[in-house]
Amino acid sequence: MADSDRHREKRADPDALLALAGKQERGRLTVFLGAAPGVGKTYAMLLRARRVKDDGGDILIGLVETHGRSETAALLEGLEMLPLRSIPYRGRAIEEFDLDAALERRPHTIVVDELAHTNAPESRHPKRYQDIDELLGAGINVWTALNIQHLESLSDVVTQITGVPVREQIPDTVLKKADEVLLVDLPPAELLERLKEGKVYLPANAARAADSFFRLGNLTALRDLALRRTADRVDDQMVDYLKQNAIEGPWPSAERLLVCIGPDALSEKVVRIASRLASGLNAHWIVASIEPVDRAVADQAGERRLDDTFRLAERLGAETRRVKGSDFVEEILRLARREHATQIVIGGRRQPFPWRLFRRSLPDALMEKASGIGVYVVTGDDTMPPPTTPVKQRPLALRLARDVGVALATVATATGFGLMIGEWVRLPNISIIFLLAVLVSAINSGYLAAVVAALGSAVAYNFFFIPPFYTLTIAEPHEVFALFVFLAAAMLTGGLTSRLREQAKVSGERSVTTQTLYDYSRKLSGTAKQDDVVWATVSQLQGALSRTVALLLPDQGELRLQASWPPDTELGVSDMAAARWTYEKSEEAGSGTGTLPNSAFRFIPLMSPHGVVGVCGIQQDGELLEGTEERMLNAILDQSAVAIDRARLSKESLRQATALEGERFRSALLASVSHDLKTPLATITGAITSLRELGDKMDKSSRDDLLVSIDEESARLSRFLANLLDMTRIESGSVEAKRDWVDISDVINSTVERSRKVFPGRAIEVQLEPELPLIRGDSVLLGQVLFNLIDNADKYGGAEPIRIYARRDRDEVTLSVVDMGKGIPEKDLEQVFEKFFRRGKPDGRAPGTGLGLPIARGFVEAMGGTIRAESPAQKRKGTRIILRFPVEHMPVEAETMS
Amino acid sequence: MSGFRVLVVDDEPQIQRFLRPALTAAGYEVIEAGTGAQALKAIATAAPDLIILDLGLPDMDGKEVVKNVRGWSELPIIILSARDRESEKIAALDLGADDYIEKPFGIGELTARIRTALRHRTREDGGVTEISVDGLHIDTVRRLITRDEAPIHLTPKEYDLVLMLARHAGRVVTHRALLTSVWGPAHADDLHYLRVFVGQVRGKIERDPSAPAIIRTEPGVGYRFVGDET
Repeated sequence: MADSDRHREKRADPDALLALAGKQERGRLTVFLGAAPGVGKTYAMLLRARRVKDDGGDILIGLVETHGRSETAALLEGLEMLPLRSIPYRGRAIEEFDLDAALERRPHTIVVDELAHTNAPESRHPKRYQDIDELLGAGINVWTALNIQHLESLSDVVTQITGVPVREQIPDTVLKKADEVLLVDLPPAELLERLKEGKVYLPANAARAADSFFRLGNLTALRDLALRRTADRVDDQMVDYLKQNAIEGPWPSAERLLVCIGPDALSEKVVRIASRLASGLNAHWIVASIEPVDRAVADQAGERRLDDTFRLAERLGAETRRVKGSDFVEEILRLARREHATQIVIGGRRQPFPWRLFRRSLPDALMEKASGIGVYVVTGDDTMPPPTTPVKQRPLALRLARDVGVALATVATATGFGLMIGEWVRLPNISIIFLLAVLVSAINSGYLAAVVAALGSAVAYNFFFIPPFYTLTIAEPHEVFALFVFLAAAMLTGGLTSRLREQAKVSGERSVTTQTLYDYSRKLSGTAKQDDVVWATVSQLQGALSRTVALLLPDQGELRLQASWPPDTELGVSDMAAARWTYEKSEEAGSGTGTLPNSAFRFIPLMSPHGVVGVCGIQQDGELLEGTEERMLNAILDQSAVAIDRARLSKESLRQATALEGERFRSALLASVSHDLKTPLATITGAITSLRELGDKMDKSSRDDLLVSIDEESARLSRFLANLLDMTRIESGSVEAKRDWVDISDVINSTVERSRKVFPGRAIEVQLEPELPLIRGDSVLLGQVLFNLIDNADKYGGAEPIRIYARRDRDEVTLSVVDMGKGIPEKDLEQVFEKFFRRGKPDGRAPGTGLGLPIARGFVEAMGGTIRAESPAQKRKGTRIILRFPVEHMPVEAETMS
Repeated sequence: MSGFRVLVVDDEPQIQRFLRPALTAAGYEVIEAGTGAQALKAIATAAPDLIILDLGLPDMDGKEVVKNVRGWSELPIIILSARDRESEKIAALDLGADDYIEKPFGIGELTARIRTALRHRTREDGGVTEISVDGLHIDTVRRLITRDEAPIHLTPKEYDLVLMLARHAGRVVTHRALLTSVWGPAHADDLHYLRVFVGQVRGKIERDPSAPAIIRTEPGVGYRFVGDET
């Protein structure tokens, strides 16, 4: 291995180059690092800003804390300053850095003081370093200032040194990722001097803390930390440079640390120590927890502490793993080998005496089996600060009290019962009753209750049933032995029973979870529509979590609330901002996260293989989800993301299929129209050319016939074109039917007369009821409709005459046109009114336009009537087209006038 | 030039209505059929000398008629078609139809096609050994091509191509038919061969290769060797 390394080409490490490329797109971060307030960071920053400004650079002052120092304020003169944003908060106005304005202005470089600042509650990000990260992401260079004490990994050291807790902390990664770190150094003695001269600004409420903070010893220690950090960075940069430029080692640190943590309070300390160890060794470090597969009822406080510790580890720059396994030692070693760890860091507490005899501690077991891997044990002490998140202790205490109470009550009952039957039953059997009490306690309230019940039983048994009665002394030695056997048996069975109970409870919970997920996936598999998926998801989540749930999906490029439970949930402006953030960055936002935490909802991106498909919002007002709920949430969201993705794809493919169908329809339509236009044209051209070229070889009748055919085909062509134009008029909605009084009989007679001329061979019979009422309509349009119907009947109507009827039917006038042709199959009866619908292939059927009936319908409806087709009409043959027009009451004037 | 019997197969009565007097006046005897079945019956019983066939028939596809007829007869067939049915037209030609004419058409164009098709039939019957067009002379026995007495050198493939076109002078030969006969069935779709070779041949035999007068292009269908008439 070493040999091959040596012979390897001098090629730059691709990872190093990639990291460099990533850096080049973002803005550059410059941090002015100081050991303590007052060393002159802001002053140095502004001095440099002036120089850049004088050289013609584009530099903007985003925010600077001058703390009323005149010399610093003087430096600001002439520099472009961004106005601060005023945020109303509890009746006061808080001035904050205006992130959006800065992004809008897009300067080349921006100065934003106080990296560790915590933003006002209504801001987008809770911390200023997150604002700065967004600026950098937008490609803006940022200069900022930081005191070493705010570095997260050093916070406990600083607290130890100074005795003052550090409230505002920033993750170490922020400093690590800085492109440039400038150390602003001032010897502690000089700083104290400045302090005395009042040159260091201190807020009034911090004055007391300052007394203990600004001591020579403290300041020296902090300065040491700052110098050392900077030196480490220089070292890192050297290594980076070596890697990028393919300069051969010795690159330090092939060290990899595996840090094992658990839900205990010691873990946080383990992580902090490991972090310092890792940065000291310049080592890669992985933080892992091994969670038992059959973890009994989750210890909520522990679970939350574990989550917090993991978050801390991530902020400090660790990689994290959560592994499930039953054998801790084996799992740790397997993980260590897989990750090529050279050292394992683990927390260990000296075990209390009796346990040490039975069980080896975890570190001991590890050391025994880990060959070639160093084991670093962090020992716990009793001066551990309480966990950072306050754990609700009361409910636990209450529960314990209740358990004990139940156990004692059970024992009391057993005693009473024993006393009652004691007169008839022999003594040793009484102990069976107490054993029963222990079992009942174990089943009802768990292990603790079982132990309490066993002890209580032993005491009560002794007191009431072992002579001498009503004392705790025992006369017979064998009774002492029996009592101890009883106690052991009670403890053992109690323990076993309570474990069974826990397991039953866990498996019960698990089966509920499994059932829920199963139900959900079954529900999803049946739905292909996005709406259904969305509602299924929302109702499922609400059922599983009992919280308000909202689901947002993009709709025409805009994220919109698609479903929520309860259904009338509304999202505020800050909620929508967080949701959009989540959608755009594919990261969680809102309540309980680092971005826009003021939203009442926590927004989680729905990730499918094709990217973010939407955002799910869960209301969590301070109350976080439990571990099992979290897992359930993730499982449901995973499934719904895939289902939504699938629904969207199927919608898309449906749309394409419809488009394809439309394409097919259009090409069929084109073929049809082209045939109908070409046939008359072909006849006319053919007839004309025949007459011209061969006319003198023909007899007169042939010539006349050709001329007639030219005439007829021209008329047909012109009717076709007229129909096309009518259809266009109907479709564009520009048909305006007059509302005149129309005499139907008149219209029928004149149209029939015209039809007889156009279709000379066709017999048309008309039957009109006498004294038909007038209808309101347009006589020209009605004539056109009737002509189209006659034309149709002529084409499809066979040899028998066409019959036309008109009669009054209550308050309607019906007009029907009947032919005795083949008729129309029932399934096509409605379709014949569709545009270009014609039965048969384009070729080989009677020439027509496929427009006659649609036009008829368009006109009839424009006049307020209806049109319908019936087939067969008579004797299983033929077609009847029926028009109906309402009879309106004629005004009196009209009557008298006629 | 008369006496030939022409069968017009078309279901549109108005087309029949003008073709009958026109073709009669041009000296042909006209028989009519409105469906594919009627057409096949008429071919078998009335012994027409030529068929004018519309592709869209109510009872069967016009291509079916061509295929059926070609099973037992070399009777000339002229396809009547519309421009939007390009692929059907080519398929009919590939099945053995002799020529096509697009609607709407002038009667002069149709009678010219009819004459070519009928003459071709007699020529094939007689076994033509020499073809002359516009100063170009092809001697199929000696495989010699001359223009104005000067020999033209063609490669064997070029000669085969010219011969195939010349044998069907006046009629369209589809791409597929040319490719199959000159290069073999495996190259039936290698249209680029044709483009290259036709270009080369034109360069050798045409007076003005940029305005070809002997080998005409029928866009999308094939090539036509201009006959010795017109």
